[in-house]
Amino acid sequence: MGYSDYLAGEPLIITVAPTGGVHGKETHPDLPETPAEIAETAAACEAAGASVIHLHARRKNGERSFSRERFRELTTAVREATEEMVIQHSTGGTGVPLEDRLEPLRTDPAPEMASLDMGPVNRYHHLTSENPRGTVDTLHEKMHERGIKPELEVFNPGHLNEVEAFLDRTEIEDPPYLGVLYGGGTLTPAHPRNVQNVVDNLPAGAAFNTLAMGRHQLPLTTTSVLLGGHVRVGFEDNVYIRAGEQAESNAQLVERAQNIAELLGRPVATPEQARAILGVQ
Amino acid sequence: MTCPYLEYRDEGDGRSFETARAYCGAADGFVQPMRADVCNDRYDLDHTTDCEIYRAHENGL
Repeated sequence: MGYSDYLAGEPLIITVAPTGGVHGKETHPDLPETPAEIAETAAACEAAGASVIHLHARRKNGERSFSRERFRELTTAVREATEEMVIQHSTGGTGVPLEDRLEPLRTDPAPEMASLDMGPVNRYHHLTSENPRGTVDTLHEKMHERGIKPELEVFNPGHLNEVEAFLDRTEIEDPPYLGVLYGGGTLTPAHPRNVQNVVDNLPAGAAFNTLAMGRHQLPLTTTSVLLGGHVRVGFEDNVYIRAGEQAESNAQLVERAQNIAELLGRPVATPEQARAILGVQ
Repeated sequence: MTCPYLEYRDEGDGRSFETARAYCGAADGFVQPMRADVCNDRYDLDHTTDCEIYRAHENGL
């Protein structure tokens, strides 16, 4: 993928990540946590142009949940509230045993997609989300068994090597789909030149999604639009609409991404188009 | 065993919530949900080794 895809009018997939697994209402009072809140958000984001929703489940008090039942409840609420959004479950989980991280892949019905972290990322001062290759393979085996398309989460450029090795040892539905994260710490340093660098180092035939933290979300997702990539927005990665001003809602961030795509002349993908682009069953 | 500084409050820090949330008495503020798992020693997490706030407080820093 690259600038030629932009010129060719490749439809833009907008993913919304409304909740995440790190912060909550202590960060933004309207960050959706309950199934009902997330379902309401999903409907608004679909109407604003998002075709994929990335889901994390929470307990009633906002804390992380990895239970199959809680994910099922969440997914059911989102399916009922939306027309045809692609549902993607997170399998990330700092400090969480592999067995718990497998639970979001065991819901009935299965999600169409799931995130798959390709390597380590540091958290706080004493924690690392380790994601060794054995964990990656075990999570992927469950995805493959259940027909779930992985989004390969690339926290930094070194993980592009991990993606290449993963693709060498596994079979996934074409195209490989990478979610590349930009920000501080162990993430890819947030600069437009590094989006181009990722494009230059993508595995053959891969598509990519750009995820950027905080103030970097707007400029780097815009760069991604121009370089033929796709974009992820939402409160998981950023709760601000501009410096010092929190966004009203996830839908406001989706609407902004949709407006940018329109201004730049790139059509926004419908959920049906997103499924075709991503090779989702 | 959970962190001795962990409380659950529905008010504090100038904010209020419908459901009581994890509050750190050492930091005097509500904590992120992911950090609350550390406070509660959930999963493979342990506040005595994994929480910089607890460690600094215990060491009198």
